[in-house]
Amino acid sequence: MTDAHKTYEIRCPVHGFIRLNDWEWNVIAQPAFQRLRRIRQLAWTDYVYPGAMHTRFEHSLGVMHTATMLYDSIVRNSAELLKSELAYNEAGFERDRQLVRFAALLHDVGHAPFSHAAEELFPERSSGEIYVHEDYSVAIIASELRSAIEEHPLNSNYNLRAEEITALIKGDASARKTVFWRDLITSQMDADRMDYLLRDSYHAGVQYGKFDLHRLINTIMAIPFQDKDPRLGISEGGIHAAEGLVLARYFMFTQVYFHKTRVAYDVHLRRAMKELLPGGHFPRPTGAELQEFLRWEDWKVLGLLNGGSGGENGERIRSRNHFRQVFHTPEAPATEDVEQLHKMKLRLGALVVAEESAGKSWYKTGPLDIPVLGDIGKNIVSPLSTHSSVVANMKPNNQVFLYVKPEDVPKATQIVNEVLQQ
Amino acid sequence: MTEQQEKRLALIPTLVENSPNRQIGRTALMKYMYFLQTLRQVPLGYRFTLYSYGPFDSTVLADLSVAESLRAVTSKTVLYPGGYGYEISTDEKAKWLKQRAEQFVNQHEKDVRWVMKKFGKLTSAQLELVSTIIYVDREEAKNGKNASVKSIAHKVHEIKPHFSETEILGFAQTLVTENLLQTAS
Repeated sequence: MTDAHKTYEIRCPVHGFIRLNDWEWNVIAQPAFQRLRRIRQLAWTDYVYPGAMHTRFEHSLGVMHTATMLYDSIVRNSAELLKSELAYNEAGFERDRQLVRFAALLHDVGHAPFSHAAEELFPERSSGEIYVHEDYSVAIIASELRSAIEEHPLNSNYNLRAEEITALIKGDASARKTVFWRDLITSQMDADRMDYLLRDSYHAGVQYGKFDLHRLINTIMAIPFQDKDPRLGISEGGIHAAEGLVLARYFMFTQVYFHKTRVAYDVHLRRAMKELLPGGHFPRPTGAELQEFLRWEDWKVLGLLNGGSGGENGERIRSRNHFRQVFHTPEAPATEDVEQLHKMKLRLGALVVAEESAGKSWYKTGPLDIPVLGDIGKNIVSPLSTHSSVVANMKPNNQVFLYVKPEDVPKATQIVNEVLQQ
Repeated sequence: MTEQQEKRLALIPTLVENSPNRQIGRTALMKYMYFLQTLRQVPLGYRFTLYSYGPFDSTVLADLSVAESLRAVTSKTVLYPGGYGYEISTDEKAKWLKQRAEQFVNQHEKDVRWVMKKFGKLTSAQLELVSTIIYVDREEAKNGKNASVKSIAHKVHEIKPHFSETEILGFAQTLVTENLLQTAS
C-alpha cells in the first residue's frame, strides 16, 4: 500500500512540473489510462511535421494541470459571486477542485486509435445517433476506473462518485451546480483547447499555437449577468491574451489540423481501419464490447498495418503515397464558390476519391465570443468581438478539399484549370 | 457543404423570417434548434449537451458563421445594461440558401412556425430556463424515471440557481399543460 498522502511530480515539456496526489497517481496507473500512452494525439501528422509524435497521455495530464490553474484563478477572482450565486463555501471549492481535476484528466480516456482520425467508425446507438469518444470515456470511468476513484483512502474526505465525474464530462443534469465548471472541460475556452494548442505547436515545431496562457489564466473569472446565471469570461486585462487564443486556434487549424496532407492521411487511416475492424466499426462502449474496444490502440493498428493489412489505404500509409489535393475552395466560401465547387465535382466525376470539409473537422472553428467584464463602470459586460476588430472580422473556416489518386493528378489538374477559366 | 449541413443552414434564415420581429439572438437560435430537434423531431443531427446556460451544441454557432459568410444572414452585437446580445437578420442570399434545401424547408416550415408560436416571445434568459427544463425532463425519461413537476423544478434550480424554484415551477407547469414534458405530470 502506498502512502495516501504522498505527492508526485511529472515533468511536462509545456507546463514544467505537473503535480499529482496519490489518488490521481493511482488512477493514472490503471491500464485503461496507461493505454493513452499508445494513442497518438495527432494521428499521422508526423508525416508532415515529424516531431508530432506526442500522445493523449501527456495531453491528459496537461489538461488536468491547466484546468486546475483556471479553476484556482476563477475561485480567486470570483469567490464572492460564486458564494452568493452558487452557494459555495470553502469546503465546496476544495471538493469541486478535485472533481474538475478528475474530469479534465479523464475526459479523453475513451479515445480510439489515432485519436479523432477514425471516429466516423464509432457504431450507432439504437436511436440512430452515432457514439462519440466521450461516450467511451464515460463508460471507462464508470467501469474500469471506478474503484480507483471511489475506493482510495483520500476519497474519505470527498466522497466522490464516478458518476459525478461522468456527469461533468457528458453534460448530464445530475452534475447539478457543478455544471457551471463544464466550460473548463469542454467549451470554446476550455483547458483542453488551451493545452492542445500549446502542446501540438510545441511538438509540431510550429510557432502558430502560442498565446499568453498565464495572462489568460490570471484574468479568467465568473461574470455576473443581470438576468442570468454567471458565466465564464475574462476581465478587460485579458482581452489581448484572449485575442491570442483566437488567433492561435485559427493558425493551428489552417497550418496543422487542416493541412492538406495531414487530412489525406486521416482519410487513409479511416478507410484502412474500416477493413481492420470486424464489421467495419468499433465495438460499442458496453460490457464485453468495451473490453474489446480497449484493446484497440495505435500499437495494435500499427502491427496490423505492418503485417500488410488495411488494403489499398494501408499500403498508401506504409509507402507514404497519399491522395493528392487538386482543388480547394477559399477558407470562407461565398455562394459563388459553393457553386464552383459543385461544378468542379461534376466535371471531375469519378476522379474525386475524397472530399474533406473543414466544417466537419473535430477542431471546430465557430465563433469564439468571450464575455468581458469592463474595468471602468460597474458590471458592464460586453463580448470580446466589440473590443477586438481582429476577432470581430474573423470568419469560420469552411474550406473544402477535393482529392484524387496520385496517378490521376495530371488529368484532374487539366480539368480543374478548364473549369477555373470558364 | 454536406446535404445535412445545407438543411441546417437553410433553417437559419427560415427561423429569422418566421420570428415575431424578423430577427433573433444567438441564444434564441440555439434554443429554437434544440426545440425543433427535441420537441418536433426535425432531423438536424445536432448533439446538445447541458451547460449552466442550457442545452448547447457549438455546431449551431459554426453553422451560423457559415450562413453569415454566405451572406444569408447578418449579425450585429447589441449592448444593454448588465449584458449583451446579438441580432441576427436575413441578408441578400437568404433565398439562395433556402433554395439549396427547398424540400426540407417546405417540409419543416410548419415546425418552425410551431416553435415561434410557443417560444417566440420568450427572452433569452427564459429560453435558457425552458430548454433546461425540457432537457432535464428528457434525461429523466431516458433513464426510465417518472418525475413530478416539483422534482424537475428542484433539479433545474440546482443547475440554474439564479431562478427561484417558484419561477421554475411556473414555467414547468406551463410545459405540462401544453403536453411538452414526458415524465412530469
